[in-house]
Amino acid sequence: MEQSGATTLLQGAVQDVASDVVSALRGGDHVRVSGAEAVDGPGGSLALAAVRVLGADLLLPHVLFRTPPAPETLTVFRETVEAFPPRADAAPAVMWSHWAMRRTLRRLDPSQAGSPGGDAFAEPDARWLDEATWQVLTHQLAVLAPLAVPGEDCAVARVARRRTVDVARGFVRAVRRRDWPQAAGAGRWLTLLDGVPDALGLQTGLDFVELMGGTDPRVALQAQAARVVRAAGALV
Amino acid sequence: MTDTRLIHTVGVRALEWLWAHRDGFRLEPDVDPEVGFLERFKPVGELALICRVLFREGVAGSQQAELARRLVDHTWRHTLDGGRMLVRGQRIEPLSPIPFEVYLPYKELGYSEPEVERATVLYHRLSSWTALELDPTRRLGLAAFQRRFGLMPSPPEADLVGATWLARTPEPWTVSGHIAYDITHAVFHLTDWGERPDGLPPDIADYLAMWLPVWIDDWLDLKRWDLLGELLVVDACLPRPTLDERAWEGFAAAQQPDGAMPAFGTMPEGDPDEVFDMVYHPTLVAAFASVLATSRALSELAHATP
Repeated sequence: MEQSGATTLLQGAVQDVASDVVSALRGGDHVRVSGAEAVDGPGGSLALAAVRVLGADLLLPHVLFRTPPAPETLTVFRETVEAFPPRADAAPAVMWSHWAMRRTLRRLDPSQAGSPGGDAFAEPDARWLDEATWQVLTHQLAVLAPLAVPGEDCAVARVARRRTVDVARGFVRAVRRRDWPQAAGAGRWLTLLDGVPDALGLQTGLDFVELMGGTDPRVALQAQAARVVRAAGALV
Repeated sequence: MTDTRLIHTVGVRALEWLWAHRDGFRLEPDVDPEVGFLERFKPVGELALICRVLFREGVAGSQQAELARRLVDHTWRHTLDGGRMLVRGQRIEPLSPIPFEVYLPYKELGYSEPEVERATVLYHRLSSWTALELDPTRRLGLAAFQRRFGLMPSPPEADLVGATWLARTPEPWTVSGHIAYDITHAVFHLTDWGERPDGLPPDIADYLAMWLPVWIDDWLDLKRWDLLGELLVVDACLPRPTLDERAWEGFAAAQQPDGAMPAFGTMPEGDPDEVFDMVYHPTLVAAFASVLATSRALSELAHATP
């Protein structure tokens, strides 16, 4: 089936933004969002949509390296959070993705310091993951890979910690199916989890996934994120 | 856990198809010996092996057991000409292990051809037989058969296990179709085709318990029924089989009304002999998986009963 022009444009924009994040993860630089200089124009709304797809990972380099983001990047991020509030009946993964962006904003946006927590910042429900098969669990976790951040707890991360073997199985399944984005997302989660079976060969597995799917910057982003997380863990 | 009746029925129907198509087990006596008279022995040996499993497990219904008995008898008397075809095979290619491998299950079922045995004992003394360049899983299988025949395998089986893919418990995401068949056959050989599940070393059993569900899930979705059937056999060889419901339901649904199991996708069409050659193996595997899984399901029921 032919993709619509708008979908192709958005995918291209997501790839561009993901490439920006990968560069920052590799080089420790600031994330720069291509196209964000015209936030009010058509290019700008495309950039916002792309940032919404990428979610909290836009600012991942700043979370991992504990550096402040460039003001214009933070502005795009904040505007995206405000522009795409999830509907009340949105799927759990959508709720959580938005929650992850708000959490990142609270952490990195000085203007949000002291903003109310409590109910306004309550976690969405994570019970759907408890009941999910290992196949569905892994798919959903890969979609929610932006939540896989060291030192950050949430209900989704707690489910992942309880179901390490299921995530490891899901990683194998995704690699077997050549679903590189899913495999990379699952692999990033696994770098955070205890009790990953040795036989999985996670580190080589992630390198393999990056080799096979690394021309897709979303795959490279997850693989690089996992590498930074692992390096950080080694220093602790 | 899957309904035991569903598992059992797959095997009953598979055996009905095998009986109805018994003439498909055929040799080609006129083939140029250089081309390979032994090529067509494999289906016959596999049939005897699976029927032996069926008698051993004792879970077959009387009609199913009777069909299996008649199939073994038919192939011994007609296809193998009372064992004389095996003698001929050994004379054409003395160093091939195939005639011996086909002979063993028949011998275990009470058939005998002294000349095959005499040649086997003689070839066993040749260092050339020991030196045959077989891949590690095949080598392990041959050693197990030598032991069952009463010969001392050299090198012993324990020394052969480590060279197999499975014994090294490698990265599970690297498993392809070919590797998967190496895995299933290593399990068949280590457990004597499901007779001794405790023949699986604990680290291998743990490895399989961890990753087999992924492979079953994958090859089920790929509709690779032949391989899926072998993986379901492996499941039934584990200390705690899952008898996975989704896999068994998919496997049973792939079986044709007449009992044939396609190797992958849907049933092939064409010349009956060609269709037989494509379908006999997955159908045998279906019978094998069914009998082992039924046996394990019934033992679990027995253990669950206070």
